[in-house]
Amino acid sequence: MITATDITVHFGTRKVLDRVHFSAAAGDVTAIVGPNGSGKTTLLRAITGEQAFDGEVALDGVPLPHLSPLDLAQRRAVLPQSGSIAFPFTVLELVRLGLTAGLATGRTEGLEHLPRTALTRVGLEGFEGRMVQELSGGERQRAQLARVLVQIWEPVLDGHPRWLILDEPVSALDIGHQLAVMELARDYARRGGGVIAVMHDLNLTAMFADRVTLLGGGEVQAEGTPQEVFTDGRLSACYGCSLRTNTPPPTGGPWILPQASQLSM
Amino acid sequence: MAIAETRPAPLAGDRRDKARALRLVLLVLLGLTMLLGLGWGAAGDTDVIGALMAKAGIGEASLRDMTIVWDIRMPRVLTGALVGAALAVAGAVMQGLFRNPLADPGLVGVSAGAGFGAVAAIVLGGLLPLALQNLVGSYLIPVAAFLGGWLSTIVLYKIATRGGRTSVATMLLAGIALGALTGALTGFIVYKATDDQLRDLTFWGMGSVAGATWAKLLTAGPIIALALLAAPFLARALDALALGEAVASHMGIDTQRMKRIAILSVAGSVGASVAITGGIGFIGIVVPHLLRLLQGPEHRNLLPNAALLGAITLLLADMISRVVVAPAELPIGIVTACLGGPFFLWILLKNRALLES
Repeated sequence: MITATDITVHFGTRKVLDRVHFSAAAGDVTAIVGPNGSGKTTLLRAITGEQAFDGEVALDGVPLPHLSPLDLAQRRAVLPQSGSIAFPFTVLELVRLGLTAGLATGRTEGLEHLPRTALTRVGLEGFEGRMVQELSGGERQRAQLARVLVQIWEPVLDGHPRWLILDEPVSALDIGHQLAVMELARDYARRGGGVIAVMHDLNLTAMFADRVTLLGGGEVQAEGTPQEVFTDGRLSACYGCSLRTNTPPPTGGPWILPQASQLSM
Repeated sequence: MAIAETRPAPLAGDRRDKARALRLVLLVLLGLTMLLGLGWGAAGDTDVIGALMAKAGIGEASLRDMTIVWDIRMPRVLTGALVGAALAVAGAVMQGLFRNPLADPGLVGVSAGAGFGAVAAIVLGGLLPLALQNLVGSYLIPVAAFLGGWLSTIVLYKIATRGGRTSVATMLLAGIALGALTGALTGFIVYKATDDQLRDLTFWGMGSVAGATWAKLLTAGPIIALALLAAPFLARALDALALGEAVASHMGIDTQRMKRIAILSVAGSVGASVAITGGIGFIGIVVPHLLRLLQGPEHRNLLPNAALLGAITLLLADMISRVVVAPAELPIGIVTACLGGPFFLWILLKNRALLES
């Protein structure tokens, strides 16, 4: 369980998050959605400890400051929105960095096969020897995901769930890879891990998220299952455009159709 | 065929085997360069092997040969190797810390501060009370250089640290400002210097291992050795830092502690190096860069190999400096700049496509 209580963040004098409550349970994919500037990424950064904030974030009841960087790295891995890399690493070398993350020593006996397995999992088999700098944006995002997966490969460790924290994990991906990555995230949750993802695509969110937190103007607008949260009026007000939610037969989940303004008049 | 079957093919994207093989080659080369360095010099008839063996109790060597090998050339060769290793490793650590292949210990003010200390000692040393002068004696310049380097690094570190976090970007910018300031102060003292002092200043600035003695080596050596031994413990953190500071901390790295260790070890080893050999440029940039091209950027392999190649490079430069204008000696800083400058340009031009992408 990850809980964030009364999170307030100021950028200078501007309040970016105002007493936000958020919680995510292991076994679920929990999505954070909202329009640009609504504070999604800021909330995620507060949860990961990158952003200074008032309030408290706790992992299974233990406040974050009480956990050492090593403890945290063993229990959760974070995929950043854009990953730059400073030196000419190969894809394999990049993914292998995840192996030693969270380990007190650099000993990786018996785990050396993991980077390759993870690369296959994100559809990058055969990319091991390529330079990270020469990859396309989507390939790079998936290579980073492989590194993050390697860090917390088993969803449950010593009875504790581990967490996959993703900041817009599919922003650079084509539709096929979007589905593959979201399926991977859902599979991680089904096997006992926890997933928190900042999402832009409401339809992917509706398909794959178990719980959704909708942010708007630095406050939580709604929280619940996609069916509960995604209502026409609430989404239209929050995103400032006309949105209509349908429920097509195959999935049973809501389906959001953007309406061009001429048509809605 | 049988060999190919028993040994698995090298895994794609994995350059560790290459780095290990390179380390063996460099170790052998270092041994050869050191031996060559011991035999290099005006007294060409010196029996180096004999003198080395005699020290170990095998056979005998003349007193003259023993003196040349053990009292003159050995401290020089060891100083060259140690300083070369220190400069290359310090360069690699700084580049990892600043996430920039062009970073150099000069950037964080160590070199400028050490230079200021040395210049102040050369010009103003005579003003010290005689008792103190007698106490520090010939160590005045190295001690002042070391203190200058440390002091400027600590000031810079304090400026860049706020609320327990050190900003690498602030450090870079403040380093330029502080460098300009120490440069101006140095310039002022140089302006006040006498002609004799000016000559000392010029040669000190160009660097030399000619003045190496056992005493100097034993003073600076332990500091450099300590920094070299600390470097491998930074390897994993520096690798993670290549992905950015936030990612590194998500990977379990205590980035603040790691920055402190990195900065202090660089200040110590570069300060000690500058103190005994003066300013020697380019090794800290060229050696790590070349190794990254050859074996990849993983610091666990980069740092030890940089130490070896740095030592070899400085020893070779020292040998060149002894023959170019023989029987006189060229300051070694001139040699490293002459070799390093064009070589670095060549690397840049060859990899321009990669750098500009």
